[in-house]
Amino acid sequence: MKVSLNWLKEYAPINKDITELSDSLTMAGLEIETVESRFEYLNEVIVAKVNSAKKHPDADKLSVCEVDTGEKVIQVVCGAPNVRDGLTVALALPGTILPTTEGKPLKKGKIRGEKSEGMICSAIELQIGVDADGIIELDTNLTIGDTLLKALSLEDYTLEIGLTPNRPDCLGLIGVAREIAAMENTSVKFPEVKDLAASGDINEHVSVTIEDPELCPRYTAALILDAKVADSPFWLQDRLLSVGLTPINNIVDITNFVMMETGQPLHAFDLDHLEESRIVVKRANEGDKFTTLDDKERTLSSETLMICDGKKPVAVGGVMGGQNSEIGDNTTKVLLESAYFSPTSIRKTAKKLNLGTDATHRFERGVDPEGTLFALKRAAALIAELTGGKLVSGVIDENPIKHKRTELNLSMMQTNRALGLKLSIEEIKKHLESVEFEVSIKDEDTLFVIAPGFRVDVSRPVDLMEEVARLEGYDKIPVTHPVAPSVSALPPKVTFYRDKIKDMLLGLGMTEAINYSFIGDNNADLLMLPENDDRRKMLGILNPLTEDQGVMRTSVIPGLLQNMKHNNANQNKTLKLFEFGNIFISNGQNQQPTETEMLAGVITGGTKDPVWYQKEDSVSFYDAKGIVEELLERLKIENVTYTSLSVDECLYTRKGYSAKIISGNKEIGLIGKVKTEVKENFDLKQDAFIFELSYENLLSAVPESLNTYPLPIYPSVTRDITMIVEKDVEAGDILKEFKGFKEKLFESVRVSDLYEGDNIEEGYKSLSFRLTYRSENTTLKDKKVNKIHTNMSKRIIEKFNAKLP
Amino acid sequence: MNKAIEDIQKESLEEIDNAKDLKELDSITVKYTGKKGFITSFSKNLSNLPSEERPAAGKKVNEVRTAFESALAEKIVSIKREIEEADTGIDVSLPGVRPAQGALHPVTIITREICSIFSSMGFNIAEGPEVETDYYNFEALNFPHNHPAREMQDTYYVSENILLRTHTSPMQARVMEKEKPPLKYIVPGKVYRCDSDITHTPMFHQVEGLMVDENISFGDLKGVLTSFIHQIFDEDTSLRFRPSFFPFTEPSAEVDIRCVICRGKGCRVCSQTGWLEILGSGMVHPGVFEYAGYDTEVITGFAFGMGVERIAMLKYGIDDIRKYYENDIRFLGQF
Repeated sequence: MKVSLNWLKEYAPINKDITELSDSLTMAGLEIETVESRFEYLNEVIVAKVNSAKKHPDADKLSVCEVDTGEKVIQVVCGAPNVRDGLTVALALPGTILPTTEGKPLKKGKIRGEKSEGMICSAIELQIGVDADGIIELDTNLTIGDTLLKALSLEDYTLEIGLTPNRPDCLGLIGVAREIAAMENTSVKFPEVKDLAASGDINEHVSVTIEDPELCPRYTAALILDAKVADSPFWLQDRLLSVGLTPINNIVDITNFVMMETGQPLHAFDLDHLEESRIVVKRANEGDKFTTLDDKERTLSSETLMICDGKKPVAVGGVMGGQNSEIGDNTTKVLLESAYFSPTSIRKTAKKLNLGTDATHRFERGVDPEGTLFALKRAAALIAELTGGKLVSGVIDENPIKHKRTELNLSMMQTNRALGLKLSIEEIKKHLESVEFEVSIKDEDTLFVIAPGFRVDVSRPVDLMEEVARLEGYDKIPVTHPVAPSVSALPPKVTFYRDKIKDMLLGLGMTEAINYSFIGDNNADLLMLPENDDRRKMLGILNPLTEDQGVMRTSVIPGLLQNMKHNNANQNKTLKLFEFGNIFISNGQNQQPTETEMLAGVITGGTKDPVWYQKEDSVSFYDAKGIVEELLERLKIENVTYTSLSVDECLYTRKGYSAKIISGNKEIGLIGKVKTEVKENFDLKQDAFIFELSYENLLSAVPESLNTYPLPIYPSVTRDITMIVEKDVEAGDILKEFKGFKEKLFESVRVSDLYEGDNIEEGYKSLSFRLTYRSENTTLKDKKVNKIHTNMSKRIIEKFNAKLP
Repeated sequence: MNKAIEDIQKESLEEIDNAKDLKELDSITVKYTGKKGFITSFSKNLSNLPSEERPAAGKKVNEVRTAFESALAEKIVSIKREIEEADTGIDVSLPGVRPAQGALHPVTIITREICSIFSSMGFNIAEGPEVETDYYNFEALNFPHNHPAREMQDTYYVSENILLRTHTSPMQARVMEKEKPPLKYIVPGKVYRCDSDITHTPMFHQVEGLMVDENISFGDLKGVLTSFIHQIFDEDTSLRFRPSFFPFTEPSAEVDIRCVICRGKGCRVCSQTGWLEILGSGMVHPGVFEYAGYDTEVITGFAFGMGVERIAMLKYGIDDIRKYYENDIRFLGQF
């Protein structure tokens, strides 16, 4: 909502300067978003004197002028008929941007071969008048060289108010002025409706029937005959321009002017285009077509309220007029409409037709149901006055459903309690009265309040409390501290561990990414998910901004792979990213999806950023696995096994390079190398390794409590065993077998070496294990250890069909 | 024989004394106390001596061995000291061997900061679904159907009644539905609005707050939020509460802080106003309490919500919000 300072002054005295005014409006709840000095561009236009004007040698209608700028004399080519020697003119210098030059700065140039170093302006070009006969002729007393802003002392500001939807009363300047008046302890001054001579009787010319009072509780109309459509006078154009509206013609301009003034949208019909000279307000037939003023054909529904004449619709009620009845150059009979429409109905229609106008904006928020007639009379008088038309006596006022004002009881005590204030009942009364509530004191604690018609936002006592707080000033409310109950507020497990895991991953060299929760629906294909995969059950968004944000993600992996591509493209080849976030498996569009939180990561490039002490080395499956292993171990998750994914289970990871992570009997997730085809799908050039864990399953594997063990007293003894096994024997199985031995003195085992190649037969590999033995109550003797070690080794060798080297 | 052992003693000590480096000492050690060393051989031969000579000879050998070993040890120390003194050291300007360390996303850092401030004030943390029903996102928060207030937020719809939550406020309704006052909750999480430009991303993060009890006043709201702002920015940050409108609070207040960039003088970031919008807040609307079945005569409360990215932008001077979701490590690595 735009207002201008000078226009506001018509309705309320304003003594504050522009900064103070916008601050106090903001603090009263009308947030001033921008303040623009309207005539700033006149700072670059100066008062100048035409020393001489001679005919252009090559153009009859142009003059070549010597112009004194106060600093020097320059040559300017001018096309105005009234340019002459000695004239004081407005000169725009190169670089000036005028409102009429569409944002382009003026340039020096040559016009028909004569150089021109500026532009002598007309009033229209400067938007300070409508005189189109030629350049503006300034008072000769003005000082040459002064800026026009200074010379004419023009000053006005346009304020943009970010109005909240609860304050439609301020969608007219009078409403804004009312707020200003309340601050200044005065009251708003309504514009005068001129009492013009009128003749005849409107009822003889036109009739109005409301067939749907629920959608249109009130319809008023006035009639002006013999009107002459023309441009508006300057003052009217200036008012519209000051709030960002474009002047069109006098009749349309007046309807806009009064709408801006009162907040009441108006519509003018050409009565000659209304068949049977009547207005019928009724619902459209489903599927009817109608062409609105903007030349667009609209399909109507039975919920759309239409303004019709005796035969056909002529306007979409409260939304937009029709082409078939609009005011044209030859219009003489102006039927003016001012009505109150149901806000909900207007909103539905505007949404359905995807057609928002200044009128719908006001109607759907709620115009003053009691202001209908005032706006009608104000506009009718202006039309008669400015178009030279004749006002027909009387108005039509169909009002089948009368507006009932809101009446409320307000408790002083409750008000003070909720706000943290100590206002007296009189102070509360005074605040409410300052914005035109009718207030009486019912008893020592209770006020009886009647809300004015324009305050459609008030329906409960709390709405009045807000008024009191706002008018008293939020800054006057003392800062207090609630008495806090001494109840601890530890973060829940799910938050606590998420934070903890993130911190651990940082320590493991991983950086946190956050991706959008929506992705393109082609990602299921890019990940090569099978037809029956749950992750193909994507929840679609009805109104996505772009196609690649069309569905909710069912996997975190695509986002991370895109991050990898982005970073690789920016020369960051080494990358370790992780993300915590929800995936969404659809249960149908009409239900909430199943949201599951995932923890996923991608690593690619070198094991480290290139360093001098170590040769560059590419990450492998084992780097990804190492991160997961370390994480799970730090979380004290026990009984974790990593088993190879079968070919069928490998979707986007490569077979033979993919493992599932199992703790107890629960599958926690997977680790794997991204398949070549998937890599190509995501346009990745480097190998990538991912891990993908279900946070819920991970969390459920975390033990409730931590058990410690006493430190050993006696030294341990280690023994190695190296064996040659077939290549597809998994080290994990051998480790598991070792760990299964119920041998008291055997403490732990780890893989110490893997060797394939020279000296090892094709299809075989050499695996070495280091076993640790320890006794709780004595230092072990070699002999004893050797016996156990030999025994265990023998069983392993047999079990895995291994050979000794 | 005795004479021989004395010669060995003399020679060995001389050799130790003359040794130049550790390697030489090694061969001296082998020569005298190795398996076939002179002193070792002597010891071995003791058994060949007549029994009456053995004690004296044994004693002598031990003396020789002890003297040898202590001289050797002393010499090792002194050679090592010489080596250390002669050593010019390494190039300490070369970069160190650094264990890799990642970085947290700035949104996480700020969310944690916000949550820990409110946790210390006794607020509990709750989380809720990101795909919500119209009921929790709007209706139970006093947004009527077909009301322009719904336009304050550009909503992503999944179907008529299912949507991506536009704020973390649905958790207000969810918490109040389950629990009775007193309540103190904060709700961090992702929210969605279909809007994208230099200051808006279609997904962003909010932290919602809710405090409900008997006799909670607007003054309390001001108190809690003032101390929050002073913690998250600094004690010198001045703030103002200005009237605004949210369907689920009344009175509603927008909280502005003095622009942290220009300190109130007016700049591009604050659109020359000197103030920055940082939080939306207000007293819980009685209509919302009615949905929860609370007694609006007795129960009052306040709620607030803030954008995490916005606070991060101000704290870190980030000028393009879209940078948050490109996950460029050159960006992420800065936090």
